[in-house]
Amino acid sequence: MISLRFSFFAQCLLLLLLLFACSWISLFSWSVITVTPADALHALYNMNQDSIAQHIVHDLRLPRVLVGIMVGANLAAAGVIMQGLTQNPLASPSVLGINAGAALGMASVSTIAPWFGLLGSSIAAIIGGGIAWAFVMLLGSAWRGGNEHGRLVLAGVAISALCAALTKAVIIIAEDQAAGVLTWLAGSLTDARWQTFDSLWPVCLIGLLGAMLIAPTLNLLQLGDDNARNLGVSLMWVKLGGSFLVLLLVGSAISSVGAIGFVGLLVPHMARMLAGQDHRKFLPIAMILGACLVVLSDTVSRGIIYPAETPAGAILALIGAPFFIYLVRKRTL
Amino acid sequence: MSLSTHNLSVGYHDTAIVKQVDLTIPEGKIIALLGPNGCGKSTLLKAMARILSPMDGQVHWQGQNLHGIASKKLAQQLALLPQTQPIPEGIKVKDLVAYGRSPYTGFWGRISKEDHDIITQVMQETGITELAEQLVSELSGGQRQRVWLAMTLAQDTPYLLLDEPTTYMDLSHQVELMHLLRKLNLQGKTIITVLHDINQAARYCDHLIVMKKGKIVTQGSPDSVLTQRLLKEVFSLSAQIHQDPIAKTPMCVVE
Repeated sequence: MISLRFSFFAQCLLLLLLLFACSWISLFSWSVITVTPADALHALYNMNQDSIAQHIVHDLRLPRVLVGIMVGANLAAAGVIMQGLTQNPLASPSVLGINAGAALGMASVSTIAPWFGLLGSSIAAIIGGGIAWAFVMLLGSAWRGGNEHGRLVLAGVAISALCAALTKAVIIIAEDQAAGVLTWLAGSLTDARWQTFDSLWPVCLIGLLGAMLIAPTLNLLQLGDDNARNLGVSLMWVKLGGSFLVLLLVGSAISSVGAIGFVGLLVPHMARMLAGQDHRKFLPIAMILGACLVVLSDTVSRGIIYPAETPAGAILALIGAPFFIYLVRKRTL
Repeated sequence: MSLSTHNLSVGYHDTAIVKQVDLTIPEGKIIALLGPNGCGKSTLLKAMARILSPMDGQVHWQGQNLHGIASKKLAQQLALLPQTQPIPEGIKVKDLVAYGRSPYTGFWGRISKEDHDIITQVMQETGITELAEQLVSELSGGQRQRVWLAMTLAQDTPYLLLDEPTTYMDLSHQVELMHLLRKLNLQGKTIITVLHDINQAARYCDHLIVMKKGKIVTQGSPDSVLTQRLLKEVFSLSAQIHQDPIAKTPMCVVE
């Protein structure tokens, strides 16, 4: 028991170190104005007001990295909760239509009623994601349980396609906003600033804490609905509460940086491989891994066609899509 | 009086499988639910364990409607071992058994000393102590059945609802299980179990409830219930009733 606990904390520690390394690299790499690794550290704790490089790190890079960390943790946690609630290994915000729904909500508000501002679009993202998720659940009859994994995923694909089409229609209607919305649809951290950070962290904190609290219950859901209920889990409340957390986590992430996909699908599986099936262990691991993955993709996204930026969402799709195919092939749905 | 059904109808997708059943479970006994396949034994058991919601009527626990009782509190009173169990991936035997303590565990699933003692005890009783570190998914059907049974026992409830607990078990483990049920009964537990082996039911249970097509045909002590006519009527079997030479309980021999 002692060795087990040690290995868990050692894993967490190593991953946190990895996250720190990724973040640090992200702070100084691929900049038009040369930023040295030392500049990146100085900007954090002992800033030289005259150094342009350090100003870049502090004003642009640091909020970007911090937002990336939170977005990654949010999406990974959302993926873990969704896979736990549906008992479906393919469940994740992007596959089950939440991303597309949130994007639709966000695009509608930012093109049709831009005066709502950031808070308005966050709420629109949460509502849009919520409606899409509810439709997917109803169409996929996920609440009934049983082995209807394929049906749920098909429903997700259908709703995603519908939302994407509507989003495009919205963009065509409001042409002048189109360029901004398109970058945002692919998911990019380019526009993440301290303002984004300020509006994201409170929701992120609540969402992640909520996810940790629900972890022991998710453990019982893996035994099937009947056993969970028998062990005193109130399924309706857990599923409602879990869905609400997912919407909070995904909605806040998406309204900050756009529809970044595949983190929620990929990371829970990686975390399970590292930490086993106990949600109390692999959920925190997934959060750190998700953060690493997003920060890393953001860094790479700046380097690929330097000095121009590719959306980080595109990089993640490049890794995520083959993994999705692998999962589909590995499990008989 | 503790567990009873009142005009209870339950089923799946608008089709009632259990129809208007009024039943009071005699407390402190081992009760067998008997009947042909599809007669509603499992459905009745699931309704009594509030896994299925009634379409009509009610299940009462100590005079209170089952669905009005807090889930966690009820989980400390009734435990169900379902007939078919999933095969969870990547979960160790000892962890699965420990999940049986969930209705009692503290904040964030913390296991206390007392929980730990109960887990150790039920693993001994079900003979799975040496399987503790193995993955549930790697066990044989009979071993896995004993692990699930251990989880149910870890719930430490005064009422146990078991749906064909002997499934997948070899004969010696079946006999061990029936002896364990007797022992638990002596400790004061009421046990309601679906069984297919009529002779096993007659030998080890105090009270038999016979069902057919969603209704209760008859109930009572094995001696009063098991008759040639009943076997013909419920199971369409021509059989004779003899006395078990050892236990002196009724025993049916198919003609």
